[in-house]
Amino acid sequence: MGRPCNNESMQIFTSQRPRTAISPRLLAAAGLVALFVAIPFGYIIIRATTGGMEVWVRLLVSDRLRDLLLNTLILMTVVTTGALLTGVGMAWLTERTDLPGRNIFRWLLALPLVIPAYIGAIVHLALLRSRGGMIPQALASIFGEAVPTPSPLGLWGAAFILTLFTYPYVYLLSGAAFRNMHASMEEAARSFGRNSWQTFWQVTLPALRPGLAAGALLVALDTLAEYGTVALLRYETFSSAIFAQLYGRFDRSSAAVLSGVLVALAVLILWAEIRVHGRARFTQMDSGWRPAALLPLGKWKWAAFLLVLGVSSASLLVPVSVLTFWSVSALLDPQALAAVFRSGSQGFGNFAWNSLWSSSLAALLAVALSIPVALLAVRYPGHLSRFISRFCQVGYALPGVVIALSLTALGSQYLPFMYGTPLMVIMAYVLRHMPQAVRASQAALERLSPTLEEAARTLGRSSLQTLFQVTIPLVLPGLLAGGALVFLTSLKELPATLLLRPAGFDTLAVRVWVWADEGFYAQAAPAALLLVLVSAIPLSFLLRREQIFNERS
Amino acid sequence: MNALDILQLCKHYPGGAYPAVDNISLSLPDGEILALVGPSGCGKTTTLRLVAGLERPDNGEIRINGEVVASNHLFVPPEKRGVGMVFQEHALFPHLTAAGNVAFGLQKESRSKSQEKVRAILSLVGLENLAERYPHELSGGERQRVALARALAPEPVLLLMDEPFSSLDADLRLEMREQVRGILKAMRATAVFVTHDQEEALYMGDRLAVFQRGHLEQVGAPEEIFHASQTRFVAEFMGNSDFLPGQACAAGIRTEIGVLPQPLGLPEGTPVEIALRADDVDFEPDTQGNAVIVERLFRGAHNVYRLKLDSGQRLHVMHPHIQITQAGTRARAFINAGHSLAVFHNGRAVSGEIRPK
Repeated sequence: MGRPCNNESMQIFTSQRPRTAISPRLLAAAGLVALFVAIPFGYIIIRATTGGMEVWVRLLVSDRLRDLLLNTLILMTVVTTGALLTGVGMAWLTERTDLPGRNIFRWLLALPLVIPAYIGAIVHLALLRSRGGMIPQALASIFGEAVPTPSPLGLWGAAFILTLFTYPYVYLLSGAAFRNMHASMEEAARSFGRNSWQTFWQVTLPALRPGLAAGALLVALDTLAEYGTVALLRYETFSSAIFAQLYGRFDRSSAAVLSGVLVALAVLILWAEIRVHGRARFTQMDSGWRPAALLPLGKWKWAAFLLVLGVSSASLLVPVSVLTFWSVSALLDPQALAAVFRSGSQGFGNFAWNSLWSSSLAALLAVALSIPVALLAVRYPGHLSRFISRFCQVGYALPGVVIALSLTALGSQYLPFMYGTPLMVIMAYVLRHMPQAVRASQAALERLSPTLEEAARTLGRSSLQTLFQVTIPLVLPGLLAGGALVFLTSLKELPATLLLRPAGFDTLAVRVWVWADEGFYAQAAPAALLLVLVSAIPLSFLLRREQIFNERS
Repeated sequence: MNALDILQLCKHYPGGAYPAVDNISLSLPDGEILALVGPSGCGKTTTLRLVAGLERPDNGEIRINGEVVASNHLFVPPEKRGVGMVFQEHALFPHLTAAGNVAFGLQKESRSKSQEKVRAILSLVGLENLAERYPHELSGGERQRVALARALAPEPVLLLMDEPFSSLDADLRLEMREQVRGILKAMRATAVFVTHDQEEALYMGDRLAVFQRGHLEQVGAPEEIFHASQTRFVAEFMGNSDFLPGQACAAGIRTEIGVLPQPLGLPEGTPVEIALRADDVDFEPDTQGNAVIVERLFRGAHNVYRLKLDSGQRLHVMHPHIQITQAGTRARAFINAGHSLAVFHNGRAVSGEIRPK
């Protein structure tokens, strides 16, 4: 923290001069954004620490806290390890070997990001559960007796599902690193007498390390925040325990204490993530780049192909096929069809529309709020601006259930006119996903030379005119990328929506969850499929910006 | 009235070892081109940015056309100063065409007036056919000229140029500086030009201001700066001089290679340094001489010899290429200047006229 220069961000413009006077208006705007972020965070911390001794004692004496902490940490460790191994392995196979079909697999392996983990869990549960699962039933009818199959419930089931749907973070970051690494680096190692195995451990892996660390920490934060999957697969973590307290018993004191512990854990991980995040991007392309030679897999070729096919089947092809199959059978069944399109006063169009406008509005607000924060951090690097920009990323450490808890309490007390309206849901999306917008805006602004803004000033534009006529038009693609990311993750957000939505405000995610929870898979499938398809639009826009999907000349 | 007056200007960045701009005063009459020159980090660009209003001074006053734009109680923002600026990397707006870039500064004019002006100024810089191109479709020299046209279009009182040629390659740089000087003189523009290249400064500036470590070392016409450097730093920076130590004596200056007949009016024995350029010194092969030839450097039309005197002092000597003396030869070096030489005592120039032989 003590270094004077903002080494967290990549300095492209070395001619950037030291600045003295921070613009007071910009500082005020960024400070207000930070304050907005601080309120729910501060509320949880205060509630947890002043929540009452007897709640802490009760949770400690009953070993409840210890059990939850162990459960959560074990799941987090297993999922992070699994995602690292899967992500790096898949990236290495598609980027560095002559794997058959690697150009198609590159897309297939990134696309599971459009499937919320709980939808994956629904599909795998329907396939694998021991009573009435599609696979056990099929095996029983073939062999004439029950064949033991692995259960999708519990720790290993939850770890399996979460690994399948979070490894793409690691895959994308390490794929970019593999692709951007200078071939000459590895060639130099070979020329110093290292064989290819030694080169991988001594040169390739250290170069990937920042990307891997950033990916692993994102996976860990996601696992901490996950509610749907663990609830469905009956594995209790902090998130699902807090949800149960809020939804069932309305015991806010113990929910607040549990939230405090969860947030403390997440803040610890976030702090580590922010420290490595900047360095994760030292994979800059430059003029001397040429692709590394592909490693021939030889006799392992088809084994590797089956492995990659297995991963993309479990994480993408099978879930999408099953959802499509269910959707078709729902559309062919008049009763299910009627239920899909009319459930009480709410129809399918309503859920889709609610999802769309609430996520879009959240994306727009998050991007707008991120601009002053990012401008301050990029144009006036210093301790204060760095603190504000880091603080605005605290949303990563606030799982949906925690945001819901604090917004419920704060909203009912201080914002009665907003409480019980969809605006509370949108506020939760903005708070939770603003870090993505801040990072995207900051990355975009770092690539814009400050002399363009200065040129506009000397040509007679005020600082505000310059912002709207020069800065924003030029960084628009980067801002849109941030917005797309917020849109995508808001669309998938389940626990905050479930807890904060006013009666009758159903989104696609909520409907899928409610129907699937009641066992109406066929009925839930069209909504789930639509959710996946709508998510695919912003994701494909985002992936095209990634270097591994850009063919370079 | 002066287009620009700078009075006791100071700027210190927090964390800087010394002030970026240290008590500088300058004036620039209408229609003149002033070149600010010095090594990197000397404060020349900071001075330019202070004039533009892109930085706030800690102390001092800046007046443009007689009006105070920055003082201890007043700061006029850049958009209200009426100055044009050409940036080092050109800073053309990539989302606007060449014409769009030039029109950017003309937002107060009517549409037809603005279009007419854009056309006129683009043809002045020879780019009327490329008006609809985007910056990435232009070559380096064309981009340079669009940047100049954009800065000139609003008819600024003062044009500021921050190392405008440094992003161009060597050939183009020579061509562009001729063109740009031509355009500025044709428009009778008043301009401040920043460069770290002394040759470029000598070519572009009607006057030069030499900076070092935030200080203004000397202001003057190119000839004055080059031949009558007031400090050792200016002599060192502007011309490739060797500095030969000597002592003042009645006949002039006593040095290792003879007495220079240039009396200084300093007490006998005062240590001084003489700035010697390669054409101020000569040698002839002599086995009893005071120097040895270390190296011969071929420079096309002539040869430059590097000599090492017996004291270890180095001198450079220029000879026509018809005579060739091998490295390792002993020689007698002597001063052979037909004019007064710059002499410094404690880094500052001391005057003295050479006495004809």
